[in-house]
This record gives sequence, C-alpha cells and structure tokens, in this order.
Amino acid sequence: MSQNAKFSQILASSVHDLKNSLQTVRSLIRTLALEQANSEKPEFQILDFETARMNSCVMQLLILYRLDASHFKPLLEECRVLDMLEEVGYQQSLQIQLRQISLAVECSDDLFCFCDDTLINTVLVSVVNNALRYCRQAIRLSGRQQGDYVCLCIEDDGPGFSYGIMAGTQGVKSGELGKGNTGLGLHFASTIAELHSQGQRNGFITLDNDSTLGGARFSLFLP
Amino acid sequence: MRKAIREMIYGFDMKLITEAANGSSAIAAMRKDSFDIVLCDYNLGSGKNGQQILEEARFRKLLPFYAVFIMVTAEQTQSMVLGAMDNKPDEYMTKPFNAEQLLNRIKRNISRKEYLGDIEKALDSGNISLAIAHCDKKLLENNRLMHTHLLKLRAQLAIKIGDFKNAKAIYQAVLEQSELNWATLGLGIIAYLQDDFSEAEAIFRKLIDDYPMMLEAFDWLAKTHEAQGDFAGAQNTLNEATALSPQAILRQQKLATMANMNGELSIAEKAYKTAIDLGKNSVHHSSGDFAGLAKIYSKTDAKSALKTLKDMRSLYFGNPEAELRAALLETEVFHQLADEESSVQAYQTAQKLSLELGNKAPTDLRLEMIKTSYLKGDDKAANKQLEQLIKNHADDDHFMEDVRKVLNETGNAQQGEKLIARIKKELVDINNKGVDLFKQGNITEATQVFQRAATTMPENKTIMINMVKILLHDLKTNEVNKEKIQRIQTFINKASQFGVKKEKIEHLQAQLNNLSHKINSTASQ
Repeated sequence: MSQNAKFSQILASSVHDLKNSLQTVRSLIRTLALEQANSEKPEFQILDFETARMNSCVMQLLILYRLDASHFKPLLEECRVLDMLEEVGYQQSLQIQLRQISLAVECSDDLFCFCDDTLINTVLVSVVNNALRYCRQAIRLSGRQQGDYVCLCIEDDGPGFSYGIMAGTQGVKSGELGKGNTGLGLHFASTIAELHSQGQRNGFITLDNDSTLGGARFSLFLP
Repeated sequence: MRKAIREMIYGFDMKLITEAANGSSAIAAMRKDSFDIVLCDYNLGSGKNGQQILEEARFRKLLPFYAVFIMVTAEQTQSMVLGAMDNKPDEYMTKPFNAEQLLNRIKRNISRKEYLGDIEKALDSGNISLAIAHCDKKLLENNRLMHTHLLKLRAQLAIKIGDFKNAKAIYQAVLEQSELNWATLGLGIIAYLQDDFSEAEAIFRKLIDDYPMMLEAFDWLAKTHEAQGDFAGAQNTLNEATALSPQAILRQQKLATMANMNGELSIAEKAYKTAIDLGKNSVHHSSGDFAGLAKIYSKTDAKSALKTLKDMRSLYFGNPEAELRAALLETEVFHQLADEESSVQAYQTAQKLSLELGNKAPTDLRLEMIKTSYLKGDDKAANKQLEQLIKNHADDDHFMEDVRKVLNETGNAQQGEKLIARIKKELVDINNKGVDLFKQGNITEATQVFQRAATTMPENKTIMINMVKILLHDLKTNEVNKEKIQRIQTFINKASQFGVKKEKIEHLQAQLNNLSHKINSTASQ
C-alpha cells in the first residue's frame, strides 16, 4: 500500500472514530439538557449547534471517502419532496425554537423525485446549518418542478454569498484555514448532486443572492 | 440515547408504553401485549440484537399485521448491511434523532400501514389471491404517494403465484422511470426462478458492482451459483457476504454447509462456530450446526468432537433429531478411537431413534443413517431404508447425487445403480399409466393410480403435483364440492411441507382458491 493510500485510510478510520465519540457527546448533551431545569441556557444551544455542525462535517467526509475509495451508485428511491424538506426542518427544530428563527417549508404535497434520501438529507442539513450561521431570523425551504428537474431551494435573510464563493473561485487558501469556510459543504453538495443521474442528465447546484428573503439562495437540481 | 428516547415517547400521546432492557424482556413484553409500534435498537450489547428480536417476533407471530417496527441504528449504511432476504423492519432510523423526527416517522408509517391494511391482512392469513385483488383495486385509486410501493408489492405477489410475466412487466416499467435497485433485483429473481441462471448471475453481479453493500444481491448470487452446481462460487459469494455482515445466522449456516461440501474444512469450522454462537440468541438455531462441527472434528480431533456432541445434547435434550445426529456421529468417533463396543452401542441407539422418527427425519439425516448402516455391515437395514428414500426422491437430482456418493463411498455402487434403475422405471410406468388414463378421459381410474402411488410413496413430489393437477381438472369439469376442495388442499399443504418450490404450488393454490370462491358465491345466492 502506498504511503498516501495508507494515510487516507488512517484518516478515514479516525474520522469514523470521531463520529462515534461525537455521537456519545451529543446524546450526553441532550440528556444533560433534559435534566437541567433551565435547558434554554445559551450554552446548551451553542453546544447543540456546534456539535451538529461537527457531525454534519464528519458525515460528509465519510461519504466522500467512501465515494473516492470505491465505485457505488446512489440508492435511488421515489421520495416525496415535502417529506424530505420537513425532515430537515424537524432535525433543526431545537435551534429554530431556541433562536426564534422562522423556518418555512413551502412545497406542494404531490411533488416527487427519485433520489438517495440519506445522501440528499446530508446535503440539505449541511446547507441549513450554514444558513443558521448567517441568517438573521428567517430561513425558507422550498421545492418545485422546473422543467425536467426537481429544484430544492434553501434561502435565508443573511448577508448572502460572497462573490468568490458564487464564482466557485474561493477554495481553501492557506490564509483562510481556521476561518470556518472549508469549502467542504459546497463541494459535497455538488458531488452528491452530480451522482444523481437520469439518462444523460445529471444533478447540479447553483448559488446566488436572489433569495426572496434578501440573503443567500442555494438550489439543488435533481433530474 | 435510551433515556432520551424515553423522554420523547412519554411526551407523545400513547396509551401503553412498555420498556424492555434487553431482547428477552422485549420478546416477553410482546407475548403479553400486542403492540402497534415497536421501537428497537439494533445494538443491545450482549444477548439478542435488534434483528434477532425482529426475526423471533415475526416467527412467533407476536407482531400483528398493522404493527410498525422501527429499527434504530448507529450507522446510516447499516440498513443495507442488515438487509436480510426476509424480515425487514418497516423503517430504519439513524441516531441521533429528536422527538419531532420520531413522531413524524411513526405517523408516516402508521398511515402507510393503514392504507395497505387489507393487503397485509389477506397476506397474514395466507390468502394471496385476495391480497392481489386488494392490491389491484388500490392501484386503480392512483394514490401518488403509495403508487410505487403498491407496484413493488404487486410484483412480489405476482412472483409468489408464478405469474412472472406480470411481475416482469411491472419491474421493467418501474426501471424505465428510474434505476430503482429493488426492481433490478426483481428481474434477477425472476430469471433465477425461470432457470435462466446466466441472466440471473449477470444481474446479481451488476447489482453487487453498483451497490457493494447490497447483501440481498449476494444471497441471490450464491443461490444462483448453487443452482448451477457451482458450489465453490456459492461459497466464495457467501464468504464475501458474511465478511460484510457477520451477524446473519442463516447465511453462516449456508456458508458452513457449502464449505463443508467443498472440503474447505477450516472455513466450514469457522462458520459452524459462528452459527452456534449466533444461535444462542436466534430462533434459527439448529442442532445441525453442532453436528456439522462435530463431524469436522471427528476426522481429526475426537475429543473436541465428543465435547461438541455433549454441548449439543445438553441444549437439545429430548429432541429425537438431535439425539439421532449425535448417536450417528458417536458411532463414527468411537470407531476411530478403536472403541468398537461403544461404537456398536451408539449405532444401536441410532437405529432405534431412526425407526421412531421414520420419515419425519430430514432426508440428509436418513441418508447419513443408511451410510452408517452400510459401514457397520448392516446391509439389510440399509437397503430397506434406501429403497424407501429413493422411491420418494428419485426425481430430485441433487439428492440422488448425494445418494450415489454414499453408495460409492460404501462400496455399494453397482447394486445401488440397479436399485435406482428399477425404482425409476416403476415410477415412470406409474406416471405414464396415470397420464394415459387421464388423456383418455378416464379421470376416476387415473386418480386411483396416483392415489395408490401416493400411498406407497408419500413423499414423492412429482406424484403429489400430478395428483393436485388431476383433482383440479376434475373440479373444473365435474361437480364441485367441499370434500373435493379439502382433499386438494391437503395435497397442496403436503407438497409445500415436503419442500416443493413455492412458485410451483402457488398457481395451483390460486386455481383452487378461485374454484372454492365460486362454490361459496353460488351457495350464498
């Protein structure tokens, strides 16, 4: 085994180990929060949010590693888009309540798409995590049919994406390490989108600041 | 997590909540009360795991058809790895999750179960044609949310009654929309059931290539290899599958049998040991695993063999089949230890048990008994048993291969071949006579011919099936009455009991259901 391959294997198993520890930590935090009379303490809220971010990051790394290490196809199923969006909303319910953010889900209940539910959920959770960091008080999840594609949108009322991010030029430069912009979330989202194909058509993502709420808009198109 | 989940559930508006600390108390609780929802963690430390609880609950019919079983797992990928051919939970949920997520999932599953209630209820009572009728009716409702799910169910039902044409059409139509792996798997299963093994193999291989964790595809590929007589291939496939998911006892048992057959004794030994270990917590535990392991030891390590048999006796005390297996193995082990007196004593015990069990013993065990009789020089007993066994199973090619192997190993090949030829000729003669009479329209005499054959060869599958076909024909052309229907049902049940393939029986069952439906509706007019 080459030095490089060995290193990436060690990296992957370490990330997996991190994920397990993190899960233990997260469930302990939840148990502690339940025991506290005053569980709305901002410390718990921050602990929950930051560990959720870590978890999302670790999940993405693991999936990307698996994709890189072996060939596999997304496990497609027919899913109701409304269910998928609501699930993301439920996952974030604690943050939304505590920070009094309004999270709206807008989608017709007869919109369906073929996708790997688990993978898409990981994408959406990571983007919503990001929106939670930058929004002021509102996030909107929506789904609609657009031509041959089903489009899932996540919008917020924050400052919007920077030009560099939108143009895809902002990678991880040495000076930016540690500032919280790893580029992982978007790289992951576009990798997973592309993995979804139907005949000749592949999924893709777009980023812009045309949000109806005035901030950033992330759109995931599934064939 | 259990604490957190408990907090969530007590927050919901539920009538009765029961907690169980481990698998055994979960089963005990399900025996006592019939639950609508079961929430079960896969990893329960020592004792039964979640899958073993699910298997046992279904096996003992502790879950009503409307119950929702949710398996809680630590890994997102686990659902696929755990996937067994049967016995899937209604839903997998990956930790961590919160109350909103859980409640939402429960609601979704309950409304689906409610919608499919008629179908599940019919299936629960074994009435497939009724399940199909309900399914077809629901498909016409065009419920978008349930449509694909109904199609999947409908195709599975079609396969059950051997209606491969419709099943195939459904899978192909689904695949035209999108590449759903269950539809591809379905096409593979149909190819397998229609004996198109090269097509089946290609499909299962492609699935494994695309979805490297899809254990179901491994199981079907192993079955396909086995059907083609490629036991080494079957063993390799099962070996890969058990490496991915070592917890499935049925797969370990299958691997042990295959490896044993291929003479790969170290792989077989490992698989038998794993199966014995898993068996402690599984309804699928079997004395055959102990016997298999003891047999491997008997050639090299008599002490371990006797120890394994002792363990087996204590676990399967008073089980005649296990006792017989143990006695046969002891005959061999003591012989190897040159303790002829104990060997003969064990043989006599075996013979007594074998006579008591009669045709209730599985065929492989009866053949083992015959082999031991030959080796002990008791040719008279062996020949008598052998004739009975061949008469009943002459049309089972795989089994007849095993018979020939025993005849060769015991130096009885020549006289054995003569016996086989004679019995086969008798069978062909009877069958021809019956079919000729039937073609001449002499149904009564044809029935009598098969009836006589069925009495002397009660386990012969060809005769059972022909009997059912003739009786069904009689029912269609002549008077229909309850006694006739009952008689056919008895033969169908027997065929299924003796291992005639489901696909061969179900369409006969469907015909019978239709005819009995007619008599019921005439009676009520």
